[in-house]
Amino acid sequence: MAESTDLSRVSFIVMREMRRPVMALITVYAVSILGMVFIPGHEVGGKPQYLSVFHAFYFMTYTATTTGFGEIPFEFNDAQRLWAMVCLYVSVITWFYAIGSIVRLFQNPFFVRAVEERKFSRQVLRISEPYFIICGFGDTGSVLARGLSDYGVPAVFIDGDEDRIRALTLRDYRVPMPGLCADASVPKHLLEAGIRRRNCQAIVAITNNEEINLKISALARLLNPSIRIITLSKVDVFEETLANLGGEVHIVDPFKMFAKVLVTTMTHPSFYPLNNWLVRAPRVRLSDAIKPPFGKWIVCGYGRMGHEINHALVKQGMKTVVIDPHDCSEEEGIDSYIVGRTTAKTLAQAGIENAVGILAGTDDDGHNLGILLNARKLNGNLFTLVRQNRHENRIAFEASQIDMIMQPTLVTARRVLFLLVAPLLKPFFQHLLKDEPGRKEDMAKVIQQLEQKIGRRQPHLITVDIERDRCSAVAACLEEGEQVLLGDILKHPDNFNRKLDLIAFVVKSGEVISVLPPDDYRIKVGDQILFCGTGASRRLLNATLNNEYNLFYVRNGVHLPKGYFMRWYAQRQNRPVA
Amino acid sequence: MNFEKVVFGFFIVLSLTLNFGFFLGEMDNPEHHNVFELFAIIVVNFIATGLKLGDRSQIGAVLLATSLVADLHLVAAATYWTVVIHVTETGLTPDVMVSIISLSGGALLANFISVIILVSDTLMSRL
Repeated sequence: MAESTDLSRVSFIVMREMRRPVMALITVYAVSILGMVFIPGHEVGGKPQYLSVFHAFYFMTYTATTTGFGEIPFEFNDAQRLWAMVCLYVSVITWFYAIGSIVRLFQNPFFVRAVEERKFSRQVLRISEPYFIICGFGDTGSVLARGLSDYGVPAVFIDGDEDRIRALTLRDYRVPMPGLCADASVPKHLLEAGIRRRNCQAIVAITNNEEINLKISALARLLNPSIRIITLSKVDVFEETLANLGGEVHIVDPFKMFAKVLVTTMTHPSFYPLNNWLVRAPRVRLSDAIKPPFGKWIVCGYGRMGHEINHALVKQGMKTVVIDPHDCSEEEGIDSYIVGRTTAKTLAQAGIENAVGILAGTDDDGHNLGILLNARKLNGNLFTLVRQNRHENRIAFEASQIDMIMQPTLVTARRVLFLLVAPLLKPFFQHLLKDEPGRKEDMAKVIQQLEQKIGRRQPHLITVDIERDRCSAVAACLEEGEQVLLGDILKHPDNFNRKLDLIAFVVKSGEVISVLPPDDYRIKVGDQILFCGTGASRRLLNATLNNEYNLFYVRNGVHLPKGYFMRWYAQRQNRPVA
Repeated sequence: MNFEKVVFGFFIVLSLTLNFGFFLGEMDNPEHHNVFELFAIIVVNFIATGLKLGDRSQIGAVLLATSLVADLHLVAAATYWTVVIHVTETGLTPDVMVSIISLSGGALLANFISVIILVSDTLMSRL
C-alpha cells in the first residue's frame, strides 16, 4: 500500500506539472497545421495545391523540433513561407518551454525525493526473505552491514545523511541492502522500509542521536507490536522508557557492555578471546586467554566509559584512582580523585608504581595513546585497557600491544549483529558464565571443541529454525511422526561415521532453553537451534536439513533409493525405501 | 559402494558415449552413421530417463529435464530417418543426413550436461 500511494504521487506530480506545456504544444501545433492546410500553394494546371493534414503535420514535426528538412512535398510560395516562419518561431519557443518544465521538474528536490522513496519502497518489497531495518548508517551501521552481508542476511537502511546513503550504494554486498536518505523518526519512512511486513524481523536504531533512537523505538512498537527492537542508548533515563515499550526490546550500551566483559574476563580468562574469535576479529586465537589483574587500577578520563569501568572495578572490590580534568561531585567508591590532565606527573601522583592496571578512556585517541606511553614508562607491567574512538587509528592501536582495546562503534555493531543473526548466543553465555559448579568445565570443553573442530578457520554462527520453509526435509520427517535426533543432523551427509565441524550451542524449544544439548536430543517442529561451525559445514548442514535423501542417510546410514525403478528394486530386496 | 549409483552412472555415461560414437564421422555421409547405433542410443537414453523418474530432489529434476531433451532430439532424428526411407522413399541424401546428425548433436550436448551434473553432484555436497 505504501507503494501505490507513492506511485500515484509521482505520476500525479508529473501530470500536474506537464499540463500547461502539453496544452500549449497542442494548441500551437493545431493552429500551425490548420494554417498550413488552408494556405493555397503554387498553381499546378490552374489549380492551387494544398498541403494535406498529414503533410502539414510532417512539416511541423521537423520544423518545430528545428530539424528543417526543407519544403516538402513541393516548393512553398511566399504566403506559405510567411506562415512557416511564424510557425517555426512560435513552436520552437513552445518546445523549449515544455522541455524546460520537465527539466525543472526533475530538478525539484521534492520530486527527486518522491522518486527516491518510491524506488526504495519497491526495493524493500522485492526482499522476500527475513530482513532487518537499520536506522543509521554511521561507523556502527557500516560494520553491521558488512557483518550481515557475510551472513547473507539482507537489511534496509535509513540515514539522514545523503553522503552516507551514497556510500552505501557503492559497497559490494552479497545481499540487497537498499538505503533511503530520510529522517527515520518519521512514521512514513518506517512504513516505506516495510516495518509492517511479515518478513521484517527487527528494527535497529543506531543513529548518533539518542533521542531519535528513542523516538524510532516508540514508533516502531506502535506500528508493529510484535517486532524486535534493538536500540543504542547510553542514557539511563531513556532506558526506562525503552524497557516499558513492551515486546522484545534490547538496549545496547557499549560502555556498560564492555565493563561487563571486563568483569567477566577477570573470572573467566577465556571469555574475552572466545568473544573476539566469534566476531572474527583478526589475529585472535582461542588460546590467547587474558586475565585482568586484581589490585589498584588507574582510570584516566572519567567520562561515560570511565564511569562504567570504575563502577565495575569498585564493585569487584578494587581500589581505583581517577584522573580527570573536570572536578566530580559524586565519587562512588573512588580511592582518590585527581583533578587534571593525565601526564607523567599526575600518573606518578596517582601511585602508578604500585598499580596493576590502567584505563585510558578519554574520547581523544591521541591522548589515549599518550597516556599509554607515559604509563608504560613509569610501570612496565601494567595491564592496559585503551579506548579507541576512531576506526582509522586502528593501525596505531594494533601496533601498541594493548591488552584490551575498546572501540565503542565496533562493540555496538558486533553486539547488534549477534542479537540479529544469533539471538540464542545471549542465553548461551548467560548459562556458561553463571557462578555455578560445573560451568567453568563446560566453558573449557566448549573452547576445546571449537579449537579442535574449527581451529583457525572462520567461525560461523548458524541459527536454524525447524520449520517448513527453512528445513523442509526435517519438518516433513517430523510431521510424519518420525524422530530426528540432534546427533543425526550433525553427521556428515557423505560419510555416516564422520561428523560435521559443528557444535550445537543452544536449543530453544518453546520457552525452554537447553544449553549444549546432548546428541540424543529429539528435534521438534518450532525449535530454534544455534550451531557454531565452519562455512563448509554450514552448507552441508543446510543440505541435510532440506534434502530428504541426505536426511535419510544420516539417520539410517543407508542411502534411500532415488527414482521409481530403484525403489521397486529395493523393495524386492526388502531394503528400506521411505 | 552403492549399487544404485553404479547402475545410474553406467546408463548416463553409456548414453553419452554411444551418442558420441554415432555423431562422429562426416556429417553428410550415411556410410559413417549406423542405424543400429542410433537404435542403441535411443534405448539406453530411455532407460536412463526411466531411472531418473521419481527422484524428488532438485538435482534429480534437472537431470530428468536434460534426459527428456536428449530423448526429444533422438526421437526426432529416428522419425526423420524412418520417413525418408519408408514414407517418401527419397533415401538418405546428404541434406537429410546432416539434419539427422545435427539432431543427434543436440542430444549429445544434453547428455554431456547430464554427465557434468552427475559428476559435480557426486563431488559436491548434495542438496
